[in-house]
Amino acid sequence: MKAIEVSHLIKKFGSLTALNDITFSVNEGETFGFLGPNGAGKTTTIRILTGVSRPTSGTASIFGHDIEHDTIAARQSMGIVSENSNVYDDLTAWQNMMFSAELYHVGRKEREKKASEILKVFELYERRNDKAHGFSKGMKRRLTLAMGLINSPRLLFLDEPTSGLDVQSNLIIREVVAGLVLEGVTVFLTTHNIEEANIMCDRVAIINKGHIVAIDAPESLKKTIQSVQSIEVSFDHNSADQLDELSRLSMVNEAQKAGDKFKLYTEDPSQVINVVMAYAHTHNLKVISITTLGPSLEDVFIRLTGLQRTGEKIHAID
Amino acid sequence: MPSTENKGLTKRLSCELSAAWAIAKKDMRIYYFKPNIIVSGLFFPLFMFLAFAIGKNTPPGNLIPGLISITLLFSASSIEPVSIPIERRVKTFERLLSAPISLYSLVTGESLSGFLYSLGIACLPLAIGVIVFGTPILNVPILIISMALTAFCFATLGTLFAAYPTENVGEVMSILNTVRLPLIFISGVFIPISAMPKIGQQIALVSPLTYGNDMIECAYTGKSLFPPLLDVLALVIFILIFQITANYLYKKFNE
Repeated sequence: MKAIEVSHLIKKFGSLTALNDITFSVNEGETFGFLGPNGAGKTTTIRILTGVSRPTSGTASIFGHDIEHDTIAARQSMGIVSENSNVYDDLTAWQNMMFSAELYHVGRKEREKKASEILKVFELYERRNDKAHGFSKGMKRRLTLAMGLINSPRLLFLDEPTSGLDVQSNLIIREVVAGLVLEGVTVFLTTHNIEEANIMCDRVAIINKGHIVAIDAPESLKKTIQSVQSIEVSFDHNSADQLDELSRLSMVNEAQKAGDKFKLYTEDPSQVINVVMAYAHTHNLKVISITTLGPSLEDVFIRLTGLQRTGEKIHAID
Repeated sequence: MPSTENKGLTKRLSCELSAAWAIAKKDMRIYYFKPNIIVSGLFFPLFMFLAFAIGKNTPPGNLIPGLISITLLFSASSIEPVSIPIERRVKTFERLLSAPISLYSLVTGESLSGFLYSLGIACLPLAIGVIVFGTPILNVPILIISMALTAFCFATLGTLFAAYPTENVGEVMSILNTVRLPLIFISGVFIPISAMPKIGQQIALVSPLTYGNDMIECAYTGKSLFPPLLDVLALVIFILIFQITANYLYKKFNE
């Protein structure tokens, strides 16, 4: 049985078509990334899959339960961790956990046992009697995830799980999610951190302007754009002025400065290495490191969504 | 097998009720002592009542039924118009909307907290009547039923108005007050319905406060405009209308 099955989903808001006939499925136990620029339709899809919003047409089912007509049964097997750490600030961590458990009909003994276990995993047990109001951003995020796990979900919706978090919270959350995957929990992950999706996901779907533009394993997607290769080079003296010169070297399609390195996009990395070495020699620069890189998932994302790099930022093309 | 079906239905119902109770408990913990709720639910009806009662020759004890009625109106309908916009703003309302419960349980749970808050607050004028003014209560069961139904009716009204899709408490309160304030004047709280012009008497029929206040008056004085059973029926109909409309609006505004 598929964990998620979406068929010809359309969602319109007046004259705006937010989702335009999207179809995909997520296998049980799979970690599935759902990527797309802002306004692409990610949130609309999640709201439909969690039964908060109704589709204009098409169907979606969770473990065989139609989300529109069998909403409660479908939701019972889900854990939802929204982008905002939507915990109740005026309740303690323990009260937040208990409330979440009661909403998901977890029995008293089970919810107390489960809450203790989860809070310990998230290193919040010692603070269980403190109101969430005094928690840091990372602690609130951990509590949000803990609340999403109280009903032992078979399917976990994770919306931007690690966005803007401290290292400790980041590590804990990634470790917990990795553990859940090993236990067979299906994870539906939306993130702006494409590298995170690359590391965590078995497959990713890229949505743009309401259409699914690609859906495959990250490595398979990268193979589709082998022309986007690059070399990364660092000199003993790096300055922003060099960026312009490097971008004008032959065979270099585009150059970016990333920290103490330059990233040069090309279709022929071996030729560009020679050109760069000659450039270094001419300008009396010492090459500290030079690496050839294949296309990243971010490259695939940019190519498929029609976004454009400008310096280190990404801008949408209308 | 009908017995298995019944068991399933009973379990479902029990799950829905316990979720509604969990929502009510959450609201009690978070919102009961928020300053704007205390002002709106306790002080507002009190000062409103004093403004109209002072200077009249009516003995203070006779004013208790009216005070109970408007306390129930204001306190019951004060929790959700505050809590729901706040929860929309901090995105915790999304948590309720995506939980495995029906919208009816959500609406009931939200209303339940306003209902209990209101009953608690309305005990104050009740106690003042008994202890300070020695106001006799002729029919205690009717008083209990009338207070419970009136409280639940106005708690559901508060939940209904909180369906308005805003994150701003002031917006909901403003709209709600355009309904709550006129209700006081057309429902026989300050002016007996029999003393109103014909048009006023007709408008009074569409106010739930008319029936709540009528029944509370009946419990205190034994006199009422309608038979208590009719008051009960009218209040139940209002509750159902508010509940169904609230359910519809929450669904519609989430699209």
